[in-house]
Amino acid sequence: MGAEVMDRRDLVLHAAAIKRHAPAEAIAALAGLALDQAQAQLDALVATGRAMEAKGAYALTPLAGVALQARYAGHFAGLREVGAFHGAYEGFERINNTLKQIITDWQTMTVGGQKVANDHSDKAHDAAVIDRLGALHEQAEPILAKLAAGLPRLKYYGDKLLAALEKAEDGDAEWVSDIRRDSYHTVWFELHEELLRIMGRERQE
Amino acid sequence: MTSAKLPIDSARFVQPPASPLVEATLDLVKQAVRGRLAESGMAWEDFAMGGSDSLVTAEDMIAVEAAILASGHRFDWSASISAAERPEAHKPAEGVSDDGAGFAHPDAPSGEPDAQGRALRGVGDNVVRHKADAVGTALYVRSNERVLGLLTNGVPPGTIAIIDDSGGTLTAPIIDQFAGVICAGGTVRSHLGILTREYNIPCVMNAKVAGIREGDRVVIEATAEAKTTEDYQQGIERTARVWVMAEAG
Repeated sequence: MGAEVMDRRDLVLHAAAIKRHAPAEAIAALAGLALDQAQAQLDALVATGRAMEAKGAYALTPLAGVALQARYAGHFAGLREVGAFHGAYEGFERINNTLKQIITDWQTMTVGGQKVANDHSDKAHDAAVIDRLGALHEQAEPILAKLAAGLPRLKYYGDKLLAALEKAEDGDAEWVSDIRRDSYHTVWFELHEELLRIMGRERQE
Repeated sequence: MTSAKLPIDSARFVQPPASPLVEATLDLVKQAVRGRLAESGMAWEDFAMGGSDSLVTAEDMIAVEAAILASGHRFDWSASISAAERPEAHKPAEGVSDDGAGFAHPDAPSGEPDAQGRALRGVGDNVVRHKADAVGTALYVRSNERVLGLLTNGVPPGTIAIIDDSGGTLTAPIIDQFAGVICAGGTVRSHLGILTREYNIPCVMNAKVAGIREGDRVVIEATAEAKTTEDYQQGIERTARVWVMAEAG
Protein backbone atom coordinates (compact mmCIF):
# COMPACT_ATOMS: atom_id res chain seq x y z
CA MET A 1 0.00 0.00 0.00
CA GLY A 2 1.01 3.59 -0.19
CA ALA A 3 2.11 4.10 -3.79
CA GLU A 4 0.73 7.10 -5.66
CA VAL A 5 -1.81 5.79 -8.13
CA MET A 6 -2.31 8.84 -10.32
CA ASP A 7 -0.07 9.87 -13.18
CA ARG A 8 1.29 13.41 -13.39
CA ARG A 9 -1.60 14.69 -15.51
CA ASP A 10 -4.22 13.40 -13.08
CA LEU A 11 -2.26 14.67 -10.08
CA VAL A 12 -2.33 18.16 -11.55
CA LEU A 13 -6.02 17.90 -12.50
CA HIS A 14 -6.78 16.61 -9.00
CA ALA A 15 -4.81 19.34 -7.23
CA ALA A 16 -6.36 22.03 -9.44
CA ALA A 17 -9.83 20.65 -8.66
CA ILE A 18 -9.18 20.81 -4.91
CA LYS A 19 -7.60 24.28 -5.12
CA ARG A 20 -10.37 25.38 -7.51
CA HIS A 21 -8.71 28.61 -8.63
CA ALA A 22 -5.06 28.80 -7.72
CA PRO A 23 -1.64 29.70 -9.11
CA ALA A 24 0.66 27.00 -10.48
CA GLU A 25 2.87 27.07 -7.35
CA ALA A 26 -0.02 26.10 -5.07
CA ILE A 27 -1.20 23.37 -7.45
CA ALA A 28 2.32 21.94 -7.72
CA ALA A 29 2.71 21.90 -3.92
CA LEU A 30 -0.54 20.05 -3.37
CA ALA A 31 0.21 17.61 -6.19
CA GLY A 32 3.67 16.95 -4.81
CA LEU A 33 5.33 17.91 -8.10
CA ALA A 34 8.10 20.30 -9.04
CA LEU A 35 6.80 23.62 -10.35
CA ASP A 36 8.09 23.04 -13.89
CA GLN A 37 6.45 19.61 -14.02
CA ALA A 38 3.12 21.01 -12.88
CA GLN A 39 3.43 24.04 -15.16
CA ALA A 40 4.00 21.82 -18.21
CA GLN A 41 0.87 19.86 -17.38
CA LEU A 42 -1.16 23.03 -16.77
CA ASP A 43 -0.04 24.48 -20.09
CA ALA A 44 -1.18 21.32 -21.88
CA LEU A 45 -4.49 21.32 -19.98
CA VAL A 46 -5.19 24.92 -20.97
CA ALA A 47 -4.22 24.22 -24.60
CA THR A 48 -6.65 21.29 -24.80
CA GLY A 49 -9.62 22.94 -23.08
CA ARG A 50 -9.27 21.08 -19.76
CA ALA A 51 -8.39 24.14 -17.72
CA MET A 52 -8.54 27.87 -18.03
CA GLU A 53 -6.25 30.51 -16.66
CA ALA A 54 -7.54 33.82 -15.33
CA LYS A 55 -5.46 36.37 -13.43
CA GLY A 56 -2.57 33.96 -13.01
CA ALA A 57 -4.71 31.25 -11.45
CA TYR A 58 -6.01 28.03 -12.95
CA ALA A 59 -9.45 26.43 -12.80
CA LEU A 60 -10.67 23.21 -14.41
CA THR A 61 -13.34 23.35 -17.08
CA PRO A 62 -16.55 21.49 -16.20
CA LEU A 63 -15.99 18.43 -18.39
CA ALA A 64 -12.41 17.98 -17.21
CA GLY A 65 -13.81 17.84 -13.69
CA VAL A 66 -16.40 15.24 -14.68
CA ALA A 67 -13.80 13.04 -16.40
CA LEU A 68 -11.46 13.24 -13.40
CA GLN A 69 -14.28 12.37 -11.02
CA ALA A 70 -15.14 9.33 -13.14
CA ARG A 71 -11.55 8.06 -12.92
CA TYR A 72 -11.38 8.12 -9.11
CA ALA A 73 -13.08 4.74 -8.69
CA GLY A 74 -10.34 3.22 -10.82
CA HIS A 75 -7.57 5.04 -8.96
CA PHE A 76 -8.78 4.56 -5.41
CA ALA A 77 -10.68 1.26 -5.39
CA GLY A 78 -7.79 -0.35 -3.51
CA LEU A 79 -7.40 2.43 -0.96
CA ARG A 80 -11.14 2.53 -0.26
CA GLU A 81 -10.97 -1.07 0.90
CA VAL A 82 -8.05 -0.58 3.30
CA GLY A 83 -9.69 -0.76 6.72
CA ALA A 84 -7.25 1.56 8.49
CA PHE A 85 -7.65 4.22 5.82
CA HIS A 86 -11.43 3.91 5.78
CA GLY A 87 -11.52 4.16 9.57
CA ALA A 88 -9.33 7.26 9.49
CA TYR A 89 -11.64 8.85 6.94
CA GLU A 90 -14.63 8.20 9.18
CA GLY A 91 -12.71 9.66 12.12
CA PHE A 92 -12.10 12.78 10.06
CA GLU A 93 -15.80 13.12 9.23
CA ARG A 94 -16.64 12.81 12.95
CA ILE A 95 -14.38 15.65 14.06
CA ASN A 96 -15.18 17.74 10.98
CA ASN A 97 -18.43 18.87 12.64
CA THR A 98 -16.47 20.02 15.69
CA LEU A 99 -14.07 21.93 13.46
CA LYS A 100 -16.91 23.70 11.67
CA GLN A 101 -18.41 24.71 15.02
CA ILE A 102 -15.03 26.01 16.23
CA ILE A 103 -14.57 28.11 13.07
CA THR A 104 -18.12 29.44 13.34
CA ASP A 105 -17.43 30.41 16.96
CA TRP A 106 -14.19 32.03 15.86
CA GLN A 107 -16.03 34.18 13.34
CA THR A 108 -18.83 35.24 15.64
CA MET A 109 -19.26 36.71 19.10
CA THR A 110 -22.31 37.24 21.25
CA VAL A 111 -23.21 40.85 22.00
CA GLY A 112 -26.42 41.52 23.89
CA GLY A 113 -27.66 38.01 23.14
CA GLN A 114 -27.01 38.48 19.41
CA LYS A 115 -24.55 36.63 17.20
CA VAL A 116 -22.55 39.27 15.38
CA ALA A 117 -19.29 39.21 13.43
CA ASN A 118 -16.29 38.74 15.72
CA ASP A 119 -14.26 41.95 15.71
CA HIS A 120 -11.59 40.14 17.77
CA SER A 121 -11.78 42.72 20.55
CA ASP A 122 -12.43 40.01 23.17
CA LYS A 123 -9.02 38.41 23.60
CA ALA A 124 -10.32 35.86 26.11
CA HIS A 125 -12.95 34.63 23.62
CA ASP A 126 -10.34 34.33 20.87
CA ALA A 127 -7.84 32.55 23.13
CA ALA A 128 -10.51 30.07 24.22
CA VAL A 129 -11.40 29.25 20.61
CA ILE A 130 -7.73 28.77 19.65
CA ASP A 131 -7.36 26.42 22.65
CA ARG A 132 -10.27 24.39 21.32
CA LEU A 133 -8.60 24.34 17.90
CA GLY A 134 -5.41 23.02 19.51
CA ALA A 135 -7.38 20.29 21.29
CA LEU A 136 -9.08 19.35 18.03
CA HIS A 137 -5.71 19.12 16.31
CA GLU A 138 -4.54 16.63 18.94
CA GLN A 139 -7.54 14.50 18.04
CA ALA A 140 -6.75 14.93 14.36
CA GLU A 141 -3.09 13.93 14.55
CA PRO A 142 -3.54 10.13 14.72
CA ILE A 143 -6.11 10.38 11.92
CA LEU A 144 -3.73 12.41 9.75
CA ALA A 145 -0.97 9.87 10.42
CA LYS A 146 -3.16 6.97 9.30
CA LEU A 147 -4.24 8.82 6.17
CA ALA A 148 -0.62 9.52 5.23
CA ALA A 149 0.28 5.90 5.92
CA GLY A 150 -2.29 4.88 3.31
CA LEU A 151 -1.27 7.56 0.79
CA PRO A 152 2.03 9.37 1.52
CA ARG A 153 1.06 12.43 -0.54
CA LEU A 154 -1.49 13.28 2.17
CA LYS A 155 1.31 14.22 4.59
CA TYR A 156 1.09 17.63 2.88
CA TYR A 157 -2.12 18.37 4.81
CA GLY A 158 -0.81 17.39 8.25
CA ASP A 159 2.25 19.58 7.77
CA LYS A 160 0.17 22.55 6.58
CA LEU A 161 -2.37 22.20 9.40
CA LEU A 162 0.33 22.11 12.05
CA ALA A 163 2.08 25.14 10.54
CA ALA A 164 -1.18 27.13 10.53
CA LEU A 165 -2.02 26.12 14.11
CA GLU A 166 1.41 27.10 15.38
CA LYS A 167 1.16 30.54 13.76
CA ALA A 168 -2.33 31.06 15.21
CA GLU A 169 -1.12 30.02 18.67
CA ASP A 170 1.79 32.44 18.34
CA GLY A 171 -0.72 35.25 18.00
CA ASP A 172 -1.22 35.64 14.26
CA ALA A 173 -4.99 35.18 14.24
CA GLU A 174 -5.31 35.31 10.47
CA TRP A 175 -4.04 31.72 10.33
CA VAL A 176 -7.26 30.37 11.84
CA SER A 177 -9.65 30.93 8.96
CA ASP A 178 -8.39 33.52 6.47
CA ILE A 179 -9.38 32.37 3.00
CA ARG A 180 -6.55 34.10 1.17
CA ARG A 181 -3.87 31.98 2.80
CA ASP A 182 -3.30 28.36 3.85
CA SER A 183 -5.05 28.95 7.16
CA TYR A 184 -6.15 26.04 9.34
CA HIS A 185 -9.64 26.15 7.89
CA THR A 186 -8.44 26.51 4.30
CA VAL A 187 -6.23 23.41 4.58
CA TRP A 188 -8.85 21.46 6.52
CA PHE A 189 -11.44 22.18 3.85
CA GLU A 190 -9.04 21.07 1.12
CA LEU A 191 -8.29 17.85 3.00
CA HIS A 192 -12.01 17.20 3.31
CA GLU A 193 -12.39 17.74 -0.42
CA GLU A 194 -9.44 15.40 -1.06
CA LEU A 195 -10.95 12.66 1.12
CA LEU A 196 -14.40 12.95 -0.43
CA ARG A 197 -12.80 12.47 -3.83
CA ILE A 198 -10.70 9.52 -2.70
CA MET A 199 -13.65 7.82 -1.01
CA GLY A 200 -16.17 8.64 -3.75
CA ARG A 201 -18.50 10.53 -1.41
CA GLU A 202 -20.55 13.69 -1.74
CA ARG A 203 -20.23 16.68 0.53
CA GLN A 204 -23.17 16.88 2.93
CA GLU A 205 -23.24 20.63 3.33
CA MET B 1 -18.76 1.17 -4.04
CA THR B 2 -17.00 -1.66 -5.80
CA SER B 3 -14.78 -1.18 -8.79
CA ALA B 4 -12.67 -3.41 -10.97
CA LYS B 5 -9.65 -2.87 -13.17
CA LEU B 6 -10.21 -2.93 -16.90
CA PRO B 7 -7.61 -4.20 -19.39
CA ILE B 8 -7.46 -0.72 -20.89
CA ASP B 9 -6.19 0.62 -17.55
CA SER B 10 -2.89 -1.14 -18.21
CA ALA B 11 -2.49 0.33 -21.67
CA ARG B 12 0.63 2.50 -21.66
CA PHE B 13 1.41 5.61 -23.70
CA VAL B 14 -2.22 6.30 -24.52
CA GLN B 15 -2.78 9.99 -25.11
CA PRO B 16 -5.92 11.49 -23.58
CA PRO B 17 -8.73 12.08 -26.08
CA ALA B 18 -8.48 15.33 -28.01
CA SER B 19 -11.86 16.61 -26.90
CA PRO B 20 -12.92 17.21 -23.27
CA LEU B 21 -16.40 15.88 -24.07
CA VAL B 22 -14.98 12.64 -25.46
CA GLU B 23 -12.75 12.23 -22.42
CA ALA B 24 -15.62 12.81 -20.00
CA THR B 25 -17.90 10.41 -21.87
CA LEU B 26 -15.25 7.72 -22.11
CA ASP B 27 -14.32 7.93 -18.44
CA LEU B 28 -17.96 7.89 -17.34
CA VAL B 29 -18.63 4.81 -19.49
CA LYS B 30 -15.53 3.12 -18.09
CA GLN B 31 -16.68 3.97 -14.58
CA ALA B 32 -20.05 2.33 -15.23
CA VAL B 33 -18.38 -0.74 -16.74
CA ARG B 34 -15.95 -1.01 -13.82
CA GLY B 35 -18.82 -1.06 -11.37
CA ARG B 36 -20.85 -3.63 -13.33
CA LEU B 37 -17.82 -5.86 -13.87
CA ALA B 38 -17.03 -5.82 -10.16
CA GLU B 39 -20.66 -6.58 -9.26
CA SER B 40 -20.80 -9.50 -11.68
CA GLY B 41 -17.75 -11.19 -10.19
CA MET B 42 -16.97 -12.44 -13.71
CA ALA B 43 -13.60 -12.59 -15.40
CA TRP B 44 -13.17 -9.80 -17.97
CA GLU B 45 -13.32 -12.19 -20.92
CA ASP B 46 -16.60 -13.73 -19.78
CA PHE B 47 -18.05 -10.33 -18.96
CA ALA B 48 -17.05 -8.79 -22.27
CA MET B 49 -18.13 -11.76 -24.41
CA GLY B 50 -21.22 -12.80 -22.44
CA GLY B 51 -22.51 -10.60 -19.68
CA SER B 52 -21.91 -7.01 -20.62
CA ASP B 53 -24.83 -6.63 -23.05
CA SER B 54 -27.33 -7.21 -20.28
CA LEU B 55 -25.28 -6.18 -17.25
CA VAL B 56 -24.42 -2.71 -18.56
CA THR B 57 -27.85 -1.14 -18.83
CA ALA B 58 -29.52 1.66 -20.73
CA GLU B 59 -29.91 3.43 -17.38
CA ASP B 60 -26.12 3.37 -16.98
CA MET B 61 -25.78 5.25 -20.25
CA ILE B 62 -28.55 7.71 -19.34
CA ALA B 63 -26.59 8.37 -16.14
CA VAL B 64 -23.53 9.17 -18.27
CA GLU B 65 -25.44 11.91 -20.05
CA ALA B 66 -26.94 13.12 -16.76
CA ALA B 67 -23.47 13.49 -15.22
CA ILE B 68 -22.33 15.56 -18.19
CA LEU B 69 -25.40 17.80 -17.99
CA ALA B 70 -25.03 18.13 -14.20
CA SER B 71 -21.63 19.73 -14.74
CA GLY B 72 -23.38 22.54 -16.57
CA HIS B 73 -22.28 21.34 -20.00
CA ARG B 74 -24.84 21.82 -22.75
CA PHE B 75 -24.53 20.09 -26.09
CA ASP B 76 -24.10 21.98 -29.31
CA TRP B 77 -26.93 21.53 -31.78
CA SER B 78 -26.96 21.58 -35.55
CA ALA B 79 -30.74 21.87 -35.96
CA SER B 80 -32.71 24.23 -33.74
CA ILE B 81 -35.33 21.50 -33.16
CA SER B 82 -32.81 19.86 -30.78
CA ALA B 83 -32.74 22.91 -28.53
CA ALA B 84 -36.52 23.23 -28.77
CA GLU B 85 -37.22 19.58 -27.90
CA ARG B 86 -34.65 19.16 -25.14
CA PRO B 87 -33.75 22.64 -23.91
CA GLU B 88 -32.25 21.13 -20.73
CA ALA B 89 -29.58 19.29 -22.74
CA HIS B 90 -28.60 21.88 -25.34
CA LYS B 91 -27.05 25.27 -25.55
CA PRO B 92 -29.84 27.85 -25.52
CA ALA B 93 -30.76 29.87 -28.56
CA GLU B 94 -29.43 33.43 -28.57
CA GLY B 95 -30.79 35.80 -25.96
CA VAL B 96 -32.15 33.22 -23.52
CA SER B 97 -30.93 33.76 -19.98
CA ASP B 98 -31.46 31.92 -16.72
CA ASP B 99 -34.79 33.18 -15.43
CA GLY B 100 -34.67 31.11 -12.29
CA ALA B 101 -37.18 28.58 -13.57
CA GLY B 102 -36.67 25.47 -11.54
CA PHE B 103 -35.54 27.57 -8.60
CA ALA B 104 -38.96 28.15 -7.12
CA HIS B 105 -39.36 26.74 -3.62
CA PRO B 106 -42.94 25.57 -2.97
CA ASP B 107 -42.87 26.93 0.61
CA ALA B 108 -41.45 30.35 -0.29
CA PRO B 109 -43.60 33.11 1.21
CA SER B 110 -44.52 35.97 -1.09
CA GLY B 111 -46.28 39.27 -0.80
CA GLU B 112 -47.37 42.46 -2.51
CA PRO B 113 -45.01 45.46 -2.47
CA ASP B 114 -44.93 47.23 0.92
CA ALA B 115 -44.67 50.98 1.53
CA GLN B 116 -41.01 50.86 0.53
CA GLY B 117 -41.79 49.02 -2.68
CA ARG B 118 -40.41 45.73 -1.41
CA ALA B 119 -42.29 42.60 -2.42
CA LEU B 120 -41.54 39.51 -0.31
CA ARG B 121 -40.05 36.69 -2.37
CA GLY B 122 -38.74 34.35 0.30
CA VAL B 123 -36.82 33.72 3.51
CA GLY B 124 -33.48 32.22 4.55
CA ASP B 125 -31.23 31.64 7.56
CA ASN B 126 -29.01 34.69 8.18
CA VAL B 127 -25.41 33.57 8.75
CA VAL B 128 -24.46 36.66 10.75
CA ARG B 129 -26.17 39.92 11.61
CA HIS B 130 -25.04 42.96 9.61
CA LYS B 131 -25.59 46.66 10.25
CA ALA B 132 -27.51 47.18 7.00
CA ASP B 133 -29.60 45.12 4.62
CA ALA B 134 -27.94 44.11 1.37
CA VAL B 135 -29.31 45.47 -1.90
CA GLY B 136 -28.16 44.32 -5.31
CA THR B 137 -28.92 42.78 -8.66
CA ALA B 138 -29.97 39.13 -8.81
CA LEU B 139 -27.70 36.78 -10.74
CA TYR B 140 -28.19 33.02 -10.85
CA VAL B 141 -24.82 31.28 -10.52
CA ARG B 142 -25.50 27.60 -11.04
CA SER B 143 -23.14 26.39 -13.74
CA ASN B 144 -19.41 26.10 -14.03
CA GLU B 145 -19.56 27.92 -17.34
CA ARG B 146 -21.12 30.92 -15.68
CA VAL B 147 -18.50 30.84 -12.91
CA LEU B 148 -15.71 30.63 -15.47
CA GLY B 149 -17.22 33.56 -17.37
CA LEU B 150 -17.37 35.61 -14.16
CA LEU B 151 -13.79 34.61 -13.34
CA THR B 152 -12.62 35.90 -16.68
CA ASN B 153 -14.74 39.01 -16.99
CA GLY B 154 -15.22 39.85 -13.31
CA VAL B 155 -18.45 39.96 -11.34
CA PRO B 156 -20.52 43.11 -12.02
CA PRO B 157 -20.53 45.40 -8.94
CA GLY B 158 -23.57 44.99 -6.71
CA THR B 159 -24.32 41.41 -7.71
CA ILE B 160 -26.38 39.24 -5.38
CA ALA B 161 -25.70 35.65 -6.30
CA ILE B 162 -28.48 33.08 -6.11
CA ILE B 163 -26.94 29.62 -5.83
CA ASP B 164 -27.81 26.10 -4.76
CA ASP B 165 -24.37 24.86 -3.79
CA SER B 166 -23.91 25.12 -0.02
CA GLY B 167 -20.40 23.70 -0.16
CA GLY B 168 -19.35 26.70 -2.22
CA THR B 169 -17.60 24.25 -4.52
CA LEU B 170 -18.61 26.12 -7.62
CA THR B 171 -18.51 29.70 -6.42
CA ALA B 172 -15.51 29.80 -4.08
CA PRO B 173 -13.15 31.46 -6.60
CA ILE B 174 -15.47 34.47 -7.01
CA ILE B 175 -17.36 34.56 -3.72
CA ASP B 176 -15.53 37.66 -2.48
CA GLN B 177 -16.85 39.67 -5.43
CA PHE B 178 -20.53 39.25 -4.52
CA ALA B 179 -22.51 41.93 -2.68
CA GLY B 180 -24.69 39.21 -1.19
CA VAL B 181 -25.49 35.52 -1.47
CA ILE B 182 -28.80 33.65 -1.38
CA CYS B 183 -28.16 29.91 -1.08
CA ALA B 184 -30.95 27.38 -1.45
CA GLY B 185 -29.23 24.71 0.66
CA GLY B 186 -27.15 24.15 3.74
CA THR B 187 -27.13 25.80 7.15
CA VAL B 188 -25.29 28.77 8.67
CA ARG B 189 -22.49 26.34 9.62
CA SER B 190 -21.99 25.14 6.05
CA HIS B 191 -18.75 25.86 4.32
CA LEU B 192 -20.41 28.60 2.29
CA GLY B 193 -21.62 30.23 5.52
CA ILE B 194 -18.06 30.18 6.82
CA LEU B 195 -16.74 31.66 3.56
CA THR B 196 -19.24 34.51 3.46
CA ARG B 197 -18.71 35.37 7.13
CA GLU B 198 -14.99 35.44 6.48
CA TYR B 199 -15.49 37.92 3.64
CA ASN B 200 -18.16 39.84 5.56
CA ILE B 201 -20.66 39.27 2.76
CA PRO B 202 -24.37 39.18 3.68
CA CYS B 203 -25.67 35.65 3.10
CA VAL B 204 -28.78 33.62 3.78
CA MET B 205 -28.60 29.82 3.73
CA ASN B 206 -31.38 27.24 3.44
CA ALA B 207 -33.26 29.89 1.44
CA LYS B 208 -36.80 29.29 0.27
CA VAL B 209 -37.30 31.78 -2.55
CA ALA B 210 -39.49 31.94 -5.64
CA GLY B 211 -40.27 34.45 -8.33
CA ILE B 212 -36.91 36.18 -8.53
CA ARG B 213 -35.82 36.88 -12.10
CA GLU B 214 -32.28 37.50 -13.16
CA GLY B 215 -31.60 41.23 -13.10
CA ASP B 216 -34.23 41.92 -10.43
CA ARG B 217 -33.25 44.39 -7.73
CA VAL B 218 -33.26 42.25 -4.56
CA VAL B 219 -32.89 43.01 -0.86
CA ILE B 220 -31.56 40.58 1.75
CA GLU B 221 -32.63 41.35 5.31
CA ALA B 222 -29.07 41.06 6.61
CA THR B 223 -30.03 43.02 9.73
CA ALA B 224 -32.21 40.13 10.89
CA GLU B 225 -31.09 37.99 13.83
CA ALA B 226 -28.58 35.33 12.85
CA LYS B 227 -29.70 31.71 13.06
CA THR B 228 -27.75 29.79 15.69
CA THR B 229 -26.75 26.17 16.14
CA GLU B 230 -29.17 25.99 19.06
CA ASP B 231 -31.99 27.22 16.80
CA TYR B 232 -31.39 24.28 14.47
CA GLN B 233 -31.19 21.82 17.37
CA GLN B 234 -34.38 23.12 18.96
CA GLY B 235 -36.23 23.60 15.68
CA ILE B 236 -36.66 27.34 16.25
CA GLU B 237 -37.77 29.32 13.18
CA ARG B 238 -35.58 32.39 12.80
CA THR B 239 -35.40 33.77 9.30
CA ALA B 240 -34.29 36.75 7.30
CA ARG B 241 -36.53 37.96 4.49
CA VAL B 242 -35.69 38.38 0.81
CA TRP B 243 -37.53 41.00 -1.20
CA VAL B 244 -37.67 42.14 -4.80
CA MET B 245 -37.94 45.89 -5.35
CA ALA B 246 -40.91 46.88 -7.46
CA GLU B 247 -39.81 48.40 -10.76
CA ALA B 248 -39.83 52.17 -10.67
CA GLY B 249 -42.98 53.36 -12.39
